[in-house]
Amino acid sequence: MGAPLHNPGGGLLDRYAPVDAYDEAFDADGSVRATYSRIVERFRELDVDEIKRLEALVADEFRRQGITFTVYSEEEGTERIWPMDLFPRLIAAAEWEELARGLSQRVAALNCFLADLYNGGAAAVADGVVPRWLAMSSRGFERNAIGIAVPHSAHCNVAGIDVVRAADGRYRVLEDNLRSPSGISYVIENRAAMAKACSWLFYDHAVQPTEQYGRMLRSTLESMAPAGEHDPHIVVLTPGIFNSAYFEHAFLARSMGVELVEGRDLVVDDHKVYTRTIEGLVKVDVIYRRIDDDFLDPVAFRPDSTLGVPGLLSALRAGTVTVCNALGNGVVDDKAVYPYVPEMIRYYLGAEPIIDNVTTYMMWDPDQRREALARLHELVAKPVGESGGYGVLIGPHATEQELDAARARIEAEPRNWIVQELVQLSTLPSVAEDRLEPRHLDLRPFVLTGERTEVFAGGLTRVAMRPGSLIVNSSQGGGSKDTWVLAPDTP
Amino acid sequence: MRLSIAYRMYFRYSEPVTESQNEVRVRPRDDDHQRVLSYRLTSQPPLPVLSVVDYWGTVVEHLGIRTSHAELELLAEATVETTARPEPTESPPVSALNDAGFRLEHLEFLGPSQHVDWRSGDAVEQRAGAAVAAVASVPEMVSAVVADTREALSYEQGATDIGVSLADLLEGGAGVCQDFAHLALGMLRSVGVPARYISGYLFAADETSAHAETADVVAVQTHAWIEVAVPGSGWWALDPTNGGPVGERHVVIGCGRDYGDVPPVRGAFMGSGTAEVDAEVLIGRQTETHPAEASAPRRASPGRRMPTTPSSSERYQHQQQQQQ
Repeated sequence: MGAPLHNPGGGLLDRYAPVDAYDEAFDADGSVRATYSRIVERFRELDVDEIKRLEALVADEFRRQGITFTVYSEEEGTERIWPMDLFPRLIAAAEWEELARGLSQRVAALNCFLADLYNGGAAAVADGVVPRWLAMSSRGFERNAIGIAVPHSAHCNVAGIDVVRAADGRYRVLEDNLRSPSGISYVIENRAAMAKACSWLFYDHAVQPTEQYGRMLRSTLESMAPAGEHDPHIVVLTPGIFNSAYFEHAFLARSMGVELVEGRDLVVDDHKVYTRTIEGLVKVDVIYRRIDDDFLDPVAFRPDSTLGVPGLLSALRAGTVTVCNALGNGVVDDKAVYPYVPEMIRYYLGAEPIIDNVTTYMMWDPDQRREALARLHELVAKPVGESGGYGVLIGPHATEQELDAARARIEAEPRNWIVQELVQLSTLPSVAEDRLEPRHLDLRPFVLTGERTEVFAGGLTRVAMRPGSLIVNSSQGGGSKDTWVLAPDTP
Repeated sequence: MRLSIAYRMYFRYSEPVTESQNEVRVRPRDDDHQRVLSYRLTSQPPLPVLSVVDYWGTVVEHLGIRTSHAELELLAEATVETTARPEPTESPPVSALNDAGFRLEHLEFLGPSQHVDWRSGDAVEQRAGAAVAAVASVPEMVSAVVADTREALSYEQGATDIGVSLADLLEGGAGVCQDFAHLALGMLRSVGVPARYISGYLFAADETSAHAETADVVAVQTHAWIEVAVPGSGWWALDPTNGGPVGERHVVIGCGRDYGDVPPVRGAFMGSGTAEVDAEVLIGRQTETHPAEASAPRRASPGRRMPTTPSSSERYQHQQQQQQ
């Protein structure tokens, strides 16, 4: 399809009015930021009919490829076409480089902590970097992980670190996802759909590619093979077709060129894991699992689990297989442990954090609790054990009754809550009815760690679809944007 | 006392099963009051055994079988030299339990756990509170709770299943050794005493009596009791099932927050039938003869069947997996 070079301009951005937040594309005076100058120019040339036509093309593409996601309601899941906004997010090379360094640093410290906690005698816990009782009382603290060998001490092989840009223009980490972060398949599919429907948008930008992710993940997982395995056999372990991220599990297996298996396809014999194939049993060396710890092995964990592999823990203990991500990472996904990550960076790496946390109040601390609950109407309350935006209360958007109910829940179980300062997430022009309007967004970059650490260029930009909404999770009705990390030679 | 222990586990399936995986925690531990002179675990058919020490310091042995079988027999044989376990040397006041350092040190054994959860109502806490209302020292407090546990429960096999809540246990008023232990642990923790579950063997004709046994060999089951942390004097072992001291006749396998951390056997199998696990412990003084082979297993507990086809509960589990 040709570029609409001679379009006189559809006025899509004529009345663009940034809200009270950092806008990624326009500065406070309403001038276009340098990084976005060409893309804004392109969008100024479009009119609403053209936008609608492109949106239909993208939706068709997703529908044809079967790219959907599932919103759970009651027991049944509802499938929806993956929502992608046409206006991309751009990140300049220098800015990305700084962000990537911060992400590597953070994941390195988290990996040091996990290695210390499970295999190193818990020095940080003993030294009080993280209070011992807090780590021990975390639902994600997995006592069965103690002593299981983890190659390169890389407990977290795939991390999804959610970052936001606050009103002051600086990035901050909102939460860490070190168990089964999902979304990378959508990053790659967004790019594919964008390149197909709007190829002309890419003409005057040098954008870092996305399709190398499968290769990166594969080489990370290969480096995690038990010692002595030079050509390791890797599988992706999925809970099955009813899981919301099943599409992604299949996608990753395909892009790495490895098998997608369910628990019933694997079997343990003599403390080794095998996959059943038509040629008989073939030993498995690395399992990229997208199943929670509790379900991995019905012998050692939940006896009612039908998803896992009986005896898997014995193979882990024998050191004949590696499970990625490692057992027990949930302890650092516990939002009550999150406030200690900057201190972990100082303790293990001897460095100051490159990316700060959002200011967080620990509800188990009586003083912090008293102050935070008094100001709850201007803060955000989050349960420590959830992800996907479930259970989050945004003070300014809550009714008096909702605030009171939250206060009561927090007072009843203070260990299970944190309260954070409200971050006015940055905005970007996004397609509304007949024009582009600012919508809030975040970014989930992916950090891969095996023998080496690599940060995937880009990540999943999630965008709130409703004006003013700060909830970007796709499970809560959020959308996405193609995310362009520009090559170093572009300004 | 030198004791010989033979623990025989006999798995029988109604239909041949294609696979079974088990982990067993039956090896006596080495500590200041008992020494393991010999130990071996064998199976029929013979299987490779992986032996590791878990988080709680207990030896876990993993055995799996992947060929069709209708029966599986495991035999753990140990010789252990035991000495009496001491009474507390100090008698600290109840207020000593509030010491922050002491509480932090015993964190794992202060809170509720899977089988020791008193929070569903206030019955356990109230009962414990009433039992210790008049005590001054920690040992008195512990003795009062153990005595009250024996008031609350009568010994009755088959009255409960593993997984019974403390509230239901109090309501039912009857149970076996692990129920006595769990209730005592719940009452003790609810009043701030760090307390842990002990799995082991008892050389006595039955677990309700700790009195001297004149027979050379007894056929029993595994036993359970508790240990409490007394400020300034370490762990103190008590047996709520029989109320007696924990002495040379008690052999410790390991400890945990409750039964769930140290079950003698846990497993899963693949197949369409049902499973029975018969288990029997023969214990004898070694000065005489070796214990005879277990002949007539006395109690059977049901095994577990692993579903092999998708079910609605499986669909629910697919969805439960946190994809962040």
